[in-house]
Amino acid sequence: MAKILVVDDEEHIRLLYSEELTEAGYEVITAADGYELTERIEKEKPDIVILDIKMIDYNGLDLLQDIRNKFYNLPVILCTAYDTFKEDIKSIAADFYVIKSFDLTELKKKIAMALEANIP
Amino acid sequence: MFEHEANPDNIKKATFVVAIPSYNEADSIAFPVQQADQGIQLFFGDIDSVIINCDNNSDDGTKEIFLGIKTNTPKIYISTEPGVKGKGRNFRNLFKKIVELEAEGVVVVDADLKSITPKWIKHLGEPLFQDFGYVAPLYVRHKYDGTITNSIAYPLTRSLYGRRVRQPIGGDFGFCGKLAKIYLESDTWSEAIANFGIDIWMTTLAMNENIPICQAFMGRPKIHRAKDPGADLGPMFRQVVGTIFNMMIKFYPFWSNVKWSKPTSIFGFGLGETEMPPPVKVNKETLFTKFQNGFNTCSHIWEKILQKETVNKLQEVRKMNKDQFDFPTNLWINVLIDFTVAYRDKLWVEDELLDSLIPIYLGKTLSYVKKAERMSIRDSEEFIEEECLQFEATKKLLMKHWDGE
Repeated sequence: MAKILVVDDEEHIRLLYSEELTEAGYEVITAADGYELTERIEKEKPDIVILDIKMIDYNGLDLLQDIRNKFYNLPVILCTAYDTFKEDIKSIAADFYVIKSFDLTELKKKIAMALEANIP
Repeated sequence: MFEHEANPDNIKKATFVVAIPSYNEADSIAFPVQQADQGIQLFFGDIDSVIINCDNNSDDGTKEIFLGIKTNTPKIYISTEPGVKGKGRNFRNLFKKIVELEAEGVVVVDADLKSITPKWIKHLGEPLFQDFGYVAPLYVRHKYDGTITNSIAYPLTRSLYGRRVRQPIGGDFGFCGKLAKIYLESDTWSEAIANFGIDIWMTTLAMNENIPICQAFMGRPKIHRAKDPGADLGPMFRQVVGTIFNMMIKFYPFWSNVKWSKPTSIFGFGLGETEMPPPVKVNKETLFTKFQNGFNTCSHIWEKILQKETVNKLQEVRKMNKDQFDFPTNLWINVLIDFTVAYRDKLWVEDELLDSLIPIYLGKTLSYVKKAERMSIRDSEEFIEEECLQFEATKKLLMKHWDGE
């Protein structure tokens, strides 16, 4: 069972993602902020990270850069309410991005693709 | 009298190298050399470094200009034999020199660069001392610039080898000393690689060797001597696309196991506000005419190598007038799949086969230009990303055709 780490400062999003993704057959763990995120990833060893871009004290794009530098192949999907983040070149270090929605179809599709991605 | 090497400071070892390949660049080489020197002094001041000009024995005084520029960093000039040309051959000499110098990091920049700053050296070089083995450039390019990259090199290398390198034929990049040895020992060398196929070959080998790759954001757009795309397209297209196809044959065991793609790390932020690239003018009439003319000159090849339904679809596109012209992405992918199989199976003379792809490519380019007319650079990037996802999603079809099913 693939393990997903959801990093989002909004509690309702963490709850929604946890419930829906658990139902979809994933093991879900959550973090409410980016505090010591790379250490947490090292400890929990998730197969994929779902990362909110705009958190109160953290910039998701900076966290993405930290993750990518330390965990070269770990899939990261950016989640955001707005698509203006695409103006920032750092966003291309993500595997995918999705616009936040209560319908998780697109997110689930991107999770499946990111987990399937393979380079020998 | 011909001199293969000039090494006035008698440099025997260097940890860091900035290399500038050239052929008749006397009027432009001084600027990138000066910027490279400043970059080395500012950011690699505590490392033994050297600037190397690898040249095709230019007869315009490139060597004298290069060696005459006052720099704090020592310089070495190396050249191919008289009459021996080709960008790739310059690189081969460079690889040998890098191995000899036991260099750990190498940054290459074009000799005609007008937009290079010292920070380019930092951003292309620093990751080589932080666990990365290959650093590709990330420029903001005009939406009509680099159409071979956008339509062929980027989507194909990404979907084949699984790593998203936006500028796989960027011309300015960094690589580690270990790769220089791998390049020298590779058994894939060809005439195309000895020329303009060199950039895509280096990127492809780095991917196949599982070398950690990152992309360095350059901040400024690449501004260099303008080339006439019409005049240059034939040989360059043949060499780049031929190299991609040859690598596909060689590295089938690797790419057949790749699924979807993964991003890379990005380096080089803090360059201030991103500068917008200068506009690129495209003559849509010429693209349309050359696409239409392709049916007169290449139909006999297409009918031999393309699937029947692909030929039929091309005929449908041919009937469209310029205003309604649209070349679907899935048709373009099907064309490329058939061309790669035909190239592998030698269904036609190699050069003629590759040349016959040009009119179709120009049709695809016209379609892109029309769609991108009202797009921002960011939107056109998203459009290309969507096309890449289509390439990745169609990989099963590519595998089916390659496996002869």
